[in-house]
Amino acid sequence: MSDSNGKIVDTADKMIGQVLKEEKVELDEEFKSALKDELVEKIRRHVEDKRREEEERIRKEEKSRKEYFLRFGLNFRLQHLTLAIGVIILIVTGLPIKFHDTLVAKIFFEMIGGIGVSRFLHRLGATLLIIVSIWHVLFITTTKTGRNDFRQLLPTPKDLKDFIQNIKYLLGMSKQKPRYGRFSYIEKFDYWAVYWGMVIMICSGLILWFNNFFLGIVPKFVFDIATEVHSDEAMLATLAIVVWHWYNVHFNPEVFPFNPTIFTGKISKEKMLKDHPLEYEKMLSKSEPKQKKDKPR
Amino acid sequence: MTALLTILLALFQLGPSSQNARCFLCHGKKDFGVVENGKFQSLYVSPKQFEASIHGKFTCVQCHTDVKVIPHFIRPEKISCLQCHFEGNTVGAPVKYLPEMYKYSVHAKASAAGNPNAPTCETCHTTHYVRSPKDTSSGTYRKNIPQLCGSCHKKEFEAYSKSIHYRALENGMLGAAVCTDCHQEHDVLPPSDPRSALSAEGVVRTCTKCHADTLLMEKADVPVQQPEAYSESFHGIALENGMVRAANCTSCHGHHDILPASDPNSPINPKNLPKTCGKCHPHADKNVADGKVHIIPSERSAGIVFFVYTFFKWFTLAVLIFLFAHIALDLSGFIRRKYSRHE
Repeated sequence: MSDSNGKIVDTADKMIGQVLKEEKVELDEEFKSALKDELVEKIRRHVEDKRREEEERIRKEEKSRKEYFLRFGLNFRLQHLTLAIGVIILIVTGLPIKFHDTLVAKIFFEMIGGIGVSRFLHRLGATLLIIVSIWHVLFITTTKTGRNDFRQLLPTPKDLKDFIQNIKYLLGMSKQKPRYGRFSYIEKFDYWAVYWGMVIMICSGLILWFNNFFLGIVPKFVFDIATEVHSDEAMLATLAIVVWHWYNVHFNPEVFPFNPTIFTGKISKEKMLKDHPLEYEKMLSKSEPKQKKDKPR
Repeated sequence: MTALLTILLALFQLGPSSQNARCFLCHGKKDFGVVENGKFQSLYVSPKQFEASIHGKFTCVQCHTDVKVIPHFIRPEKISCLQCHFEGNTVGAPVKYLPEMYKYSVHAKASAAGNPNAPTCETCHTTHYVRSPKDTSSGTYRKNIPQLCGSCHKKEFEAYSKSIHYRALENGMLGAAVCTDCHQEHDVLPPSDPRSALSAEGVVRTCTKCHADTLLMEKADVPVQQPEAYSESFHGIALENGMVRAANCTSCHGHHDILPASDPNSPINPKNLPKTCGKCHPHADKNVADGKVHIIPSERSAGIVFFVYTFFKWFTLAVLIFLFAHIALDLSGFIRRKYSRHE
């Protein structure tokens, strides 16, 4: 500080000396030193301002690099949370019934206090699942964001192209990563797998739950089919979650240990550009014309 | 010297029969007995029948140990069969059917409570003419057991005599279930006792014992998959894990008067199924007869359920192969990109 101060004082001295030489005038010492102090102060302030401006600029740039977008609204996130809690309860209380011969199942039933308790919990999980399915249907029909999201979740020919492109990219046959929109084909697969699973599990589950009611309506073999379907689809869904969903959102080295977007709703600009470039471009083109429209007013 | 040896040898060669002959001097007379409390009580033991019994090779005093001199004027103590028939005995008395367990039975409890009709060992096995259960003339021979138990349990015998089990037994199927197969020989316990072979959980094991026996069921021409299918059904799983009210075998099939589904009197006859299922499921109607019972989904006999099972088997396999392949590709792509970046 004192070093740079000394340099500024030297510069101020030189400047005053040069002006005096050119103008060929003499100044008394008192005025000269006052002038010098003023000059020093001015230069210093200017340098500091410049430095602060530069720092501000760098900070802004960094901030823009870590810019976040809202990917999932609160409604969307709560639906996922309810579904996740319901499914975990259902798997934990359901698998021991399928694998009732194993030691783990025996220990589970022993610990939880018999199949009566685990059956109650299973029906609690089922209630959550039914609630979230009704909630979701209302979401995709009555709300604007829901309708929009559902439309973008529908499979399109582009998904097949994306899939082929991604395989080429993963095999190293192409340098270009497929450019996904709001939902990649991987996410769409996840969504529709849950859709199909929910329909099957809720329908068969209701028949088994309210067996007394359905006994007067459907023949016995329908119960046998419902039992078998419920058991088999449960296995398929569990494996899909453990293998596919967990890989995509947990164990994939790109997101390990987990992708928090579904809980926080936030996605970074960097990730947005990488994973959903088309959505990003669409967002920009949507916001720009709006600004232009606003200007003339 | 030789005379002495001959006498000694003769003494050693004295078999039980010649020793028992001294007892039969009195007890072998048909009208031998005492008058007690004004009533004549026979003390006759048929030497012929005793010698033909499984204990015929023993001497009387081997059981009646308190008889030392003849004639004995005091009444010998009542003897306990368990003095030989206990586990670990050295005389070779069989304990295969756990006679000691009798003490837990309802019979022993009734006897201890002072019921004069409560059966003890000799009620079923007789006192002096005990025969092996393998002996066709024995009261405890399989084919004779229903009559033996039925001599007291008349109502139960009547119901049992209508059953397919009894019919098979009459037709010479010795493997058909008799009383003791379900109720046990000695530790006859009430179904409310959790240790009983007839408790809610026990009854499944009890029926499974025979109905999962391939050889036996082949002889009887009865399908063998029933117990396995039941244990895989929700009724079976629930019962196994603490829901006692779940249906067990007897809930639908009945117990003493079990009949095949083809019999119009059977509770599992299609016509009677609505009533049978209706015991627990109030809305049951003729729908419940529309479909097979005791199915194993992985077997063709399961009908439509077999196709559902097969579809899901291959569908799950295909989906998983696809998912694993995609994940493997994704990982390999990630590793290659990382590797080439470092280059």
